[in-house]
Formats: sequence, structure tokens, C-alpha cells
Amino acid sequence: MRISTAHRYDATIENLQARQTDLAATQMQLTSGKRVNVASDDPVAAARAERDLATMARADANQRALEASRNVVQLGESAIGDASELIQQARETLVAAGNGSYTAAERQSQAIKLKEIRNQLLTVANRADGGGGFVFGGQGASNPPFIDAPGGVQFVGQGGEAQASSSEKLSLTVDGSAVFLTAKSGNGVFEAAPGTNAVTGNPNSGSAWITPGSVNTPSQVPYPSAPNVAPPVYTIQFAVSGGNTTYSVLEDGIAMPAATTLNYTGKQAINIPGRGMSVNISGGPADGDTFTLQESNNKLSIFNSLDKAIAGLNTGTLNSGQVQQLVNSGISQMDSVIGNLQSARSSLGETLNRMDGIESRISSLKLIAQTDRSAAEDLDMVKAISDFQNKQTGYDAALKSYAMVQKLSLFQYISG
Amino acid sequence: MGSGIFNLGTRALLANQTVMDTIAHNISNANTEGYSRQEVKLATEGGRYTGAGFYGRGVRVETVGRSTDANLIREASSTASVMAADTARLDKLKQLEKTFPTGESGLGYAASQLLNAFVDVANQPQDMSARQVVLARTEDFTSRMRTAAEQLIDLQAGVFGDLQNSALQVNTLTTGIAQLNDQIAATMGAGHDPNDLLDQRDLMVNKLSKLVQVTTVLADDQSLTVMVGGGQALVQGNQASSMSVVKDEFDPAQGRLTLTTGTKTVKFNETLLGAGAIAGLLKVQDKDIPAARNLLGQMSAALSWRLNQQQSFGLDLGKPASAGKPLLSDPQSSMAVLASIKNTSSLTTPPVNMTLIDGRQLQPEDYTFEADPNAPGQYLMTRSSDPNTVFSVADGSIVDGFRINITAAIPNGDKFVLRPVGNAARNLQAVMDKPIGIAASSPYVATTNAANKGTGTVSSLSISSTPNPAQPPTAGGTLKVVFTSGTGNYDLEFPAGTPIASGTWTPGQPISYNGFDLKLNGVPSQGDTINVTPTAYPNANNGNALALLDLRDEDLVGRSITDTNYDGVDDNGLADAPGANITNAYSQAIGSIGVRVQGAQTSADISQSLASNAKEALVNKTGVNLDEEAARMIQFQQSYQAAAKILQIAQSIFDTLLQTAAG
Repeated sequence: MRISTAHRYDATIENLQARQTDLAATQMQLTSGKRVNVASDDPVAAARAERDLATMARADANQRALEASRNVVQLGESAIGDASELIQQARETLVAAGNGSYTAAERQSQAIKLKEIRNQLLTVANRADGGGGFVFGGQGASNPPFIDAPGGVQFVGQGGEAQASSSEKLSLTVDGSAVFLTAKSGNGVFEAAPGTNAVTGNPNSGSAWITPGSVNTPSQVPYPSAPNVAPPVYTIQFAVSGGNTTYSVLEDGIAMPAATTLNYTGKQAINIPGRGMSVNISGGPADGDTFTLQESNNKLSIFNSLDKAIAGLNTGTLNSGQVQQLVNSGISQMDSVIGNLQSARSSLGETLNRMDGIESRISSLKLIAQTDRSAAEDLDMVKAISDFQNKQTGYDAALKSYAMVQKLSLFQYISG
Repeated sequence: MGSGIFNLGTRALLANQTVMDTIAHNISNANTEGYSRQEVKLATEGGRYTGAGFYGRGVRVETVGRSTDANLIREASSTASVMAADTARLDKLKQLEKTFPTGESGLGYAASQLLNAFVDVANQPQDMSARQVVLARTEDFTSRMRTAAEQLIDLQAGVFGDLQNSALQVNTLTTGIAQLNDQIAATMGAGHDPNDLLDQRDLMVNKLSKLVQVTTVLADDQSLTVMVGGGQALVQGNQASSMSVVKDEFDPAQGRLTLTTGTKTVKFNETLLGAGAIAGLLKVQDKDIPAARNLLGQMSAALSWRLNQQQSFGLDLGKPASAGKPLLSDPQSSMAVLASIKNTSSLTTPPVNMTLIDGRQLQPEDYTFEADPNAPGQYLMTRSSDPNTVFSVADGSIVDGFRINITAAIPNGDKFVLRPVGNAARNLQAVMDKPIGIAASSPYVATTNAANKGTGTVSSLSISSTPNPAQPPTAGGTLKVVFTSGTGNYDLEFPAGTPIASGTWTPGQPISYNGFDLKLNGVPSQGDTINVTPTAYPNANNGNALALLDLRDEDLVGRSITDTNYDGVDDNGLADAPGANITNAYSQAIGSIGVRVQGAQTSADISQSLASNAKEALVNKTGVNLDEEAARMIQFQQSYQAAAKILQIAQSIFDTLLQTAAG
């Protein structure tokens, strides 16, 4: 077999070029640190890396949503803490106002203090979130969400919570109306309040006052009522005749046989027979004075309670029973509001806890994507360096053999 | 008798000189491309008869031949042809691949960053800077799309230019071959092969087959007929046809080949082209570039259609808040109908056009379109991915997400190419320039009643079509969803107390009315209510921003449905066959382009090694080996010296004779 001399040179040059290209490609991988520089290097890995990159970008976006939500939840949590503290002060003020030896003027000075507390509370409820919105703004609200309007403070907005992300339940606002305006009235099950005098039709004129009451036998309590059944209302009606005070309990206006014309001793627990509820009534009722018990609702606004208490304390003509009623109801309402705030606060605290979990999920997802992307397209350095040295050696050998072989020619020998 | 030895010696001297001339010629041309080693054929001069038998009369130069092998030449040409096709395609594909960059510089990343930007808008709907980021990302995405599309256009322009250059080279070569045919035929009378001319012609044929695969037939007069494709002659005798590149009848950016013989011009049959750089270029032009362009266009059209749609469902920050205006240019305006220049119907406003119905169903295809000559009112279409499946449609048919509108009579024989997505990426523009224009707000808000007793809460309130403002809930009014039983029966009341619709809620299924889909978590009890109200504070609402964010996961690219009657509705009522979300669509595109390049690389590698083997076999047969020539030179130098010695001896014989005679 013969070999064409020219072709032998061509082929050797081609070989050298191929080795050089190969070496350059490996060097390119080494310097970029990537095994996949264009899709055709490894189409499957390139596609995988692309998806991983999207997952990483997604994780960053989720993290931003989380941060935004965490910011609001922390603000909300601290605002609710501030609000609780203010209401605690209001409660103490109200307790002080209940002092039997206080004059009307002294009660008025407590009312001024309450008014200050109320205004501070309104500021807390309208706390801004630092980004142009309001912590308690719900799903959109006026600017600010709580407005001092005739008839009391109103939440002008849409309730609920704005969501930060559609994948994880993260809130961007706190439902302000739920926190401040929808505490449970009464003791949470039923609401005991002075009614109107059955004889005169005016508010009670006696000095008797009623406590929020308690539940003795939960299974007997008629609240909440069955669907499509109106919850019953109980009325305790007093009758005074000849220094003898009796009371009767009426269920939806109908006397209950087990509690009709019972003697009233001036301070006693009154049971609603067979309904598992009891209340304490103290003081001296006038003839026809009534007290009602009805199902507790969740429309108790802290601002209304404070407004009522302030208005009451500002009234100069209260008898001692009315003062006691005012203070007692006020305290009970504030306790209920504080309870409501505590539950909102603990729910926010729980959310903060949950966020730690979400955050670690986000970061581990990102890490997995990063690892996967790196596995897909990054270079195994050890292998690459060894490959590079291999190829270098090969190229070196090719160069040397070329230099040696090209000297071999018959002309070299016959020249002499 | 005495002069015989002089003759013998002279002949030997001349013959050896001739051989050494030829060896020198070989050595000189050792590096000449296409040169075949020449060899002097020596023969004995016929014997001279005497009474004592035949006496040899010495050596004779018969002819100078070249060492060649027609089979090896053909093999080398055809493998070089395949290699040229593969290499030409690979070169273009490598450029094509650069339009689909990976990682942070890629289109997929830009698209997902565009959608991710809505997270900040959702976090702070009233924050203008977050909205500005969305606009900037939109601009970034569209400019990347346009850049990629423009790169493809440039690539196509490059292919066109290469085709023109190749055609020019073909013409130079065919003219050269025709001239050589003439010269070779003229020398035939001499009875010897014109070796160097034959070499030149072989070389030209070889170069020609690198451009276009040819077959050759040798005529009796040694002229070579060169044919291409299905037998169209490029060179016949001393006549060469001329190849030129004209614009495609549909798409003027594409090149088509014609062949002019004398005064007759015919279209080149490209399907029979086989191999050669021109075939590789045509494949890139007809398959690879359209595929890439349509993939880009499909992503661009699908995302812009869906993004604009979702944007239109929401409310912007204008005063008053109104339905969102488009963020991106309408892909409808990029739907192109290419009419053949041979059509008799209007070329400026073709009698057929398309209306985009559902951008998510657009496919990365071009469609051929023509009237069915056998059924008036019916039209025949094929997809570019499947040109053999012809399907029949009518005016108003909906195919792959677009409707076909016939605006005038279409004469039989008129042909069109429908290109619904091909130009979408190139025309993609960000058209929103005011941050308040981003419709982050949902038009409705759902709130559960605080007095509800069940565990039902609002999971999501999504908007699936633009609400009719005349239908409930209307401004200031509340649509109440009232659960009338514990098993999910509900009434829709508007205003409260007046039922206007009712239904049964099943877990996981939304309650839908006037454009909204309300999904619940938990189970509502009897008497529970959920209020759906128009959004009163669009500046603080982020409902639609969250919906826009959800497009990250929506299978909005390339959904397909089973629709044999082309009414746009899935025949079997099943959910659409899923498409891909934008990230997956891009990574699939990268994958498919990558596989294409990888495949081209592999075939280029294989054909290169075949071509180089064939070439090696040929040149080892025909090429010059300098060692061999050196050896032969020594051999014939010695023969020459020996012949010279014969003359010397003859002279000394004569001298002896003369001296003797003189003496």
C-alpha cells in the first residue's frame, strides 16, 4: 500500500487541528466551570438546568412574598400588643371609676382619661404598614381604614385578609374589623343587659345591676340555636309590691313555670331554669324593671364600648346601681375584647411560626434546585483537569511525532 | 547492424529521460490539488526478424498514463457531497442555537422573571416602583424575544446569501467543466489521454459535488455529462446550464433555485437534491429556521395573549379603575397570510385571514391553504410538521386556536401559507408604559360572614372572564352566596334576600357567576353566607396580581384539543391535553434545538470521517509518494546511465573499428 505524501501532511495537520480544538473546548469548560455551555452540549441537562433556574427564581419570589407578609404580621402582632395594653389601661381606669365614693366630677376626670386612651387606640388601629397600606386594612379600605364617624368608629373597607401568595396562605393585611369590631358580646355565650321597665317603657329606674353571668350546665344552653330557629330571649322581670320584691323569668315573653314570682333577696344568683345559665343581680330594682339575656353576638366594638363608658361617666345623674352596671358591663366588654385581641395575636404568632417553616421549605427547595442545576451543567473539576492533562499529553505527542516523521524522506539520504 | 546499437542506446536514453521527466512532473505536482500520479508506459519495440530469429529493437515509450480509479473518484465525490451538506447545516445550526441562550441570559428566565415581578406588585399594590419593575421586565422580555427573532431573520438572510454564492460557484464550475469537455474531446484524436485536463475536470466535479450532489456519465468522446437531482443536466458536452437563486413564491426571504439551459428556465426540483452544501442550506432554510421561528413565535404569542387576557380581567389604578389594557402587543396583528405570487386573487389583501381565538392552543406550525377543487366552500390545509395529512375546513372553522375567515372567493389553484405565530416574536412590543396601568386588582372581593358557623373559608376568587358590569354584583351591591343546606346547596342573592340563581357546591369545584370562580376551603354549614362585592379599593387589592403570578404554572403554551369538526370546542368534552408552562416550553425548545444541533454534529462527524476515508483511499491510489518517486528516480537514473554506457561502448566499438580500418 502506498501513501500519498501530500495527503499524509494534510491528514497530520487535520489531526493536530482536531486535537487543538478538543483541547480548547476542554479549556473553555475549565475556565467557565460549566460542562454545558450551549444546549447541544447536553440538551437534556440544559433543559433540566433551565427548569431549575426557574425554580430558583420562583423561590426568590416566594421569599419576597414571605418577607412582605412577615413584615405585616410582625407589625400587626405588635400593634395588637399595644392595643391590649391600652385596653388594659382603660379597664383599670374603669375599675377606678367604679369607686363608690367618687363624685360625678371625679368620674368625669376618669372619662377624660378614657377618651385619651380611645384616641390612642384609634391610632393603633390605623397603623400604617410602611408601604402605603394599613396593617388592619383587610381586603382594601379607605385611607385610613378606621374612621371616627357619627354613631361610632367604623371600619370603612372590605373585611378579610389580602393574600401575599397564592401557593401558601400568607396574609398581607390583618382583618381590622375582625380584630377591633367583632369581639363576642356578653360572656361569649349569652349577653345579659338591663332592659326597659315593663311598666313605664323607660329604661330601668331601680338601682339593681346585672353581672355578665355564667354557664352552669353547657348541655342545656339553648345557644346557638338550631338552623331556622330564632334564638330564645330570656327576660327577668321584677315586681315590687309592698316592700316585697319578686321576679319571674320569661322565655320569649312566656313565663317559665319553674321561675315565676320567686323572692328576690337584694343580691342573689338567678338561674334560668332548665337552660343551664345563671346571672347575679344586686341592688334594688324598681317595679317592672327587667333584665334580658340573649344569644351573644360578635359585633362588639371596642370603640363603642369605650364611647358608651365615656358617655356614661360623663352623665352626672347616675345612681350607684347604674354606675355599677356601667363599670361592670364595660369591664366585661373589655375582657371580651382583650380575649379577642389575644386570640388574634396568638394566631399571628402562630403565623410567624409557620413562616419559619415556610422559609425553610423555600430555602431547601432552592437548594435542591441549585444542586440539581449544578449537577446538570457544572463541570466535574477533577475529571476535567485530568482530561485536560490527558489531551495536552496527546497533543504534545502528536506534535513530537510530526516533527520526527517529517524528517523521514528518501531525499534526505540521497542528497549526499 | 552496426547502427542498431546506437538506435537502441538512443531509444533507451530517450525513454529513460521521458520517465525521469514524468517523475520530475510528479515531484513538482506532489502538492497540487487533484493531481494524479503519472506513469510512463514503456514497451519493447517489436523484434526484427533475421534468419537467426527475432532480435529486440529496444524500448519504446507507449504513452503517459495517470493512475486513477473511477470508482474511488465517485466515492470520494459522493461522500464529500454528504459531508458538505452536513457541515453547511451544522455551521448554520450552531448560529441558530445562539438565539436560544440558556440560563440567566435566556428567554425562559426573562419570561419567568417577568411573571415573578408580579409578586412585588401583589405585596404592595400601591407601590409604583414594584409596578415599574414589571414594566421594565416586560421591556426586557420583549426585547430579548425580538433580538432572538431578528437573529433568525439575519440567519435566513445569511442562508440566502450563501445560496447565491453557491449558485455562482456552481456556475463557474459547470462552465469550467464544459470548456474542459470541449478541450478533452478535441485531443481525443491524438490517441493519448490528456492527463492533466482530466485531472482538472475530476477536481472540478469533486468541487461541484461539494455544492450539489451530481451524477456523471462519460460519453464516447470522453466528454462528461453532469446531472443533478432527478436527471436535470448541469453540463452536457460543452453546454453548461446556469443556476440562479430566486425568491420563494410565498416568502420572499427564502431562496429557491432555478436552472437555465439556453433560454429555458425551470424550477429546480429540490426534493431530489440529495446532498451538497446547497441541500444543507435549503434544509436549514426550510426546516430548521422555520421550526425555531415558530417555537419562538408560539411562546411569544401564547404568553402575550394570556397575559393580556388576565390583565383585562383585572382593574388598573386609573380614576376610575377600569379593566386592564394590554401589557404586550396583540399577537393577532402578527398573524400573517402569505399569498403565492402566482395567485390570481388579490396579493395585497388575500381573500383569507385568521382571527386569534385562544392563544394557548397555537401550535408552532405554518399551514398551507388552498380551495378544494372538488368541494366548493371547502378548503384544504396541511401543517408544516405533517405535510402529508390534508384536512378540510370551511369558512369560520377553528384550527389550533385561530379561526379561518374567507373574505372573498378563492380561485382554484391559488395557494397560501398561513403563518399564525411565525412573526409573533419579531413583532412583540411592550405597549404599556404607565405603572398605574397594571391591573393588579381583582374586580371582586369575597368575604365570609363573621357569623358563619361552618368551616368554609374563601380559598380563592379568580376571574375567568371580564365581568359584565351590568350584571350583579354591581357597584355598591353585594352578591350573597347563601348556603341553604349542609350539603352544599346554595342560592345567589342579589340584592340580599332575592335569589337570582342557585346551585350545588361540590368540594374542589368553584361557584361561578358573571366571570368569577369562587373556590372554598372547608365545608360551609346551612345558613352560612359569603359576600361577593365589587372591589371598592382597587389601590389596595392584589387579587389579579396573584392571578398573573399564577401564570407561572399555567399550561399556556401549545395546548391541543381533539376537534375533528373544527369548531374550537373539544369533541369529547375532556379537559384540554395539557400544554407547557412558559418555563417548560422554553426548556423544551432549548432541548429540541439542542438535539437538532447534536444530531447535525453527529452526522457531520460521521460524514466527515467517511469523506476523509474515501479521500484517503483515492489519494493513496492517485497521489504522489515522494519516497517512491525518489526511488524510481534513482532507478531510472541508473537506467539512463546504463543507456549512456551503451552509447559509450558503441562509440568505442566504432573507434576500435575505425582504428583497425585506419591501421
